[in-house]
Amino acid sequence: MLKGDRFTHSYTVSPLIHEQFIELFGDRNPLHTDEPFSRRKGFQGRVMHGNILNGFLSHFIGELLPIKNVIIQSQEIKYYRPVYLNDELLLAAFIEDVHESVNVVEFKFNFSNTNGVRVAGGKIMIGII
Amino acid sequence: MDHTAIIRKVNDIFIDVLDNPDIVLTDETSASDIAEWDSLNHIQLVVAIEKAFKMKFTSKEIQSWKNVGEMCKAINEKMNA
Repeated sequence: MLKGDRFTHSYTVSPLIHEQFIELFGDRNPLHTDEPFSRRKGFQGRVMHGNILNGFLSHFIGELLPIKNVIIQSQEIKYYRPVYLNDELLLAAFIEDVHESVNVVEFKFNFSNTNGVRVAGGKIMIGII
Repeated sequence: MDHTAIIRKVNDIFIDVLDNPDIVLTDETSASDIAEWDSLNHIQLVVAIEKAFKMKFTSKEIQSWKNVGEMCKAINEKMNA
């Protein structure tokens, strides 16, 4: 993996993912589960949990990179726009830097929806183990 | 940048990465003197130092450092190379 390498992958926040996230972690905040509540707060529907995107990032790092001997060492994400049920998100990531001295690769990433709007973005640092 | 300025900048990096405002580095400071300076944080420290000083080290160079003084000496040598 070299500096500048780019990766993309599409993810959909399906009802199954939403339901299982709630089942696993128990966050039933009305913003995520109560449509009228979310609309009263100015959103177009139930807002999906931001940490579902972290699950997608876990899949990206763990499954889609050309090597499997990786471990996430740090991760930061900012949420810019709400994500709704059934939204299709394009994850675009590129290698910002490689630190060969400590076998570390730094990625920058963005999630954007089908309207091309960036909904989240951040950085991930992985170690090659 | 002289040795004192380098160690001051490295000290700020240690405080930030290890999230410990009480850290005061000297040339003799080593990993055994700072509880948070474990192998995982060592990686974060090296990455932060490489970024801050805009330089890259080799794994051999890093492994040769016995304390902060040797780390700062290596930074100084790269800056003046």
